Amino acid sequence: MGGDNRFLGLWYVSPYLIGLVLFTMFPFLASFYLSFTDYDLLTAPEWVGLENYERLVTRDRTFAKSLRVTLTYVFTTVPLKLCFALFIAVVLNYRLKGIGLFRTAYYVPSILGGSIAIAVLWRYIFADTGLVNMIITGFGGEPVNWFGDPGNALFTITLLRVWQFGSAMVIFLAALQSVDKSLYEAASIDGAGPWKIFRHITLPLITPVIFFNLIMQTVQAFQEFNGPFIITNGGPLRSTYLLPLYIYEEAFQSFDMGYASAIAWILFLIIMTLTLVAFWSSKKWVYYAGDKRN
Amino acid sequence: MKTRRLLAIALATTALTGPAMAEELRMSWWGGDSRHEATQAALMACGEAHGHTISPEFTGWDGHFERLTTQIAGGTEADIMQVNWPWLPIYSPDGSGFADLNQYSDIIDLSNWSEAQIADGTMNGALNGLSVSTTGRLFVFNATTWDAAGLEIPTTWDELIAAGPIFAETLGEDYYPFEAMGLDASLIVTLYGTQRTGRPLIDPATNEIAWSQEELAEAIEFYQTLVDNHVIEGWQDRAAAGGIPLHENPEWTDGRIAGTYQWDSTYFKIADPLEEGQELVYAGILSQDGQQTPGIYRKASMVFSISANSEHPEAAAEILNCLLNEEAGVMALGATRGVPASDAARGMLLEAEAIEPIQITAQSQVLEADGPAIHSFMEHPDVRGAMEENLELFAYGEIDAATAAEEMIYAIEEVLSEIDS
Repeated sequence: MGGDNRFLGLWYVSPYLIGLVLFTMFPFLASFYLSFTDYDLLTAPEWVGLENYERLVTRDRTFAKSLRVTLTYVFTTVPLKLCFALFIAVVLNYRLKGIGLFRTAYYVPSILGGSIAIAVLWRYIFADTGLVNMIITGFGGEPVNWFGDPGNALFTITLLRVWQFGSAMVIFLAALQSVDKSLYEAASIDGAGPWKIFRHITLPLITPVIFFNLIMQTVQAFQEFNGPFIITNGGPLRSTYLLPLYIYEEAFQSFDMGYASAIAWILFLIIMTLTLVAFWSSKKWVYYAGDKRN
Repeated sequence: MKTRRLLAIALATTALTGPAMAEELRMSWWGGDSRHEATQAALMACGEAHGHTISPEFTGWDGHFERLTTQIAGGTEADIMQVNWPWLPIYSPDGSGFADLNQYSDIIDLSNWSEAQIADGTMNGALNGLSVSTTGRLFVFNATTWDAAGLEIPTTWDELIAAGPIFAETLGEDYYPFEAMGLDASLIVTLYGTQRTGRPLIDPATNEIAWSQEELAEAIEFYQTLVDNHVIEGWQDRAAAGGIPLHENPEWTDGRIAGTYQWDSTYFKIADPLEEGQELVYAGILSQDGQQTPGIYRKASMVFSISANSEHPEAAAEILNCLLNEEAGVMALGATRGVPASDAARGMLLEAEAIEPIQITAQSQVLEADGPAIHSFMEHPDVRGAMEENLELFAYGEIDAATAAEEMIYAIEEVLSEIDS
């Protein structure tokens, strides 16, 4: 084998690398270039400098509205989803009869969740004559206009994503199971109750996983598309008009790929900034094994 | 010598196969189930007749425009495409976006279309698309529900408006004689204004808005008149169903919504899902006192085009001719895209009584009604977006009619300025 071994590893990972360059790096860099152009998809891009960014920041009311909606969505969906996933993971961490079945059942929505079919199903569940309103009226309540009321529409999209807590839950469950049981026993002997044990032992020990889930779920939430596109198409009154929908419409309906690329880059910068803030703040609340901090 | 003989046999065999070799083609379209089934059968029949294999690529209406845009931008569009007529100037402003079908006039019998129909599909001198059918927006009512309400099918706006309270009283608050939301609502506003002014919203001759802000505001107010009189469900209540298209809405399929304003070419799409016993009737265009024109919104419903990037344009032309002019394709397609524009196809279907009488009635109403010429940019996504977005804001009470009109005019003028530049 000799010296050829140096390239063997590279050879093994080459399919991934080729895919990364072709389908991620190239579009990524191309969109950066296109964001400085006027490009209608059908004719060659024309360099316009910072014009797209200037329009975005100073004149585009739709962008401002869409950004507000996106931030509202992210800052409600991510905490709700993480809390719910952690809660279910804690419940499923108990040794109960048939626990395997429950774990599988709770994970199923995540397998189905990203699909168009589930978004369509959601539309029927929350429609004026759908299952949710049937239950509400069955208990004597008034039916709720989930999709037609701008105050409710975003909440239904949020619920769809919170319902898909499975992947975050599985990661939390793995983290909970890796916590040293002797710590719980010691705390119990010292008189700590379940809440104190959870608050002062479990939570600190799983902070690396909370941090990981926080970053992943935040990035996913900023990229949400299927739910609002299928269920409400951004309406009513743009109350569910997330930035990915705006990017899509600018690119493929208004034929303004240059402008759409500029929005995409603003979105990227927002995600990057929030991620960096999360990393910076993690020094204060995330604890790793072997960490020398007190 | 032997080689020469083999070569001669091979050449002779090639010549016997006709103008185009057996080719692998693709065809894309949008539509409902009946159109999908009929088109696949037609492609099978035409493929067999001409020795080609055609892969079908079909979707619903939603998203087809974006899909086609992506394909055309990437040069991966199907060989044969169903293209909405207003999209021609978007994809092919200079005529080079699609193949020029004049070049295949030895394969496609163009004599089956009138000069006007050929002109509709011509961009900058290149015949980019052949009209499949002529279509227009018509009022269509559920006669079963109107009977149950004890009313005659309306012929005027006043009769329609008077029916609203009677529906609520005799059938219940959840029964409406008509519907309008999104595109349908903006087209109702456009129709009302066209009837009042006698002019189209956008003048195709000048590329300018032909209505004053006050005239547009009056037409927008008319939308609210329909809501206030229980003629149509309010925007907010319709949206509660989750933005589903009319033909999927249970309120339409069970007859609680008893009227709509639709393309006559979509008859099967809106009629097929109706529950048993429900009957549709076309009522032409409702009129109003003092109107300047009936205001029919008529256009080539869709065209069939051949990709400018097709590697087998002759084979694609053979299939296109088969679908539009030859018995194998025409009989399989039937009237799933409306009454055919091709004389040959229309003749065959009429002789075989393969067009529903109601479709013939609707088509005559479309062809006989008067109305000003329609600007193809009326269906430009940005024009539609401006109309629907501001109408929605008005319907939700966020802005008044004057502001909605002002915003619409501003946004449409921006789009029109792009054409001029």
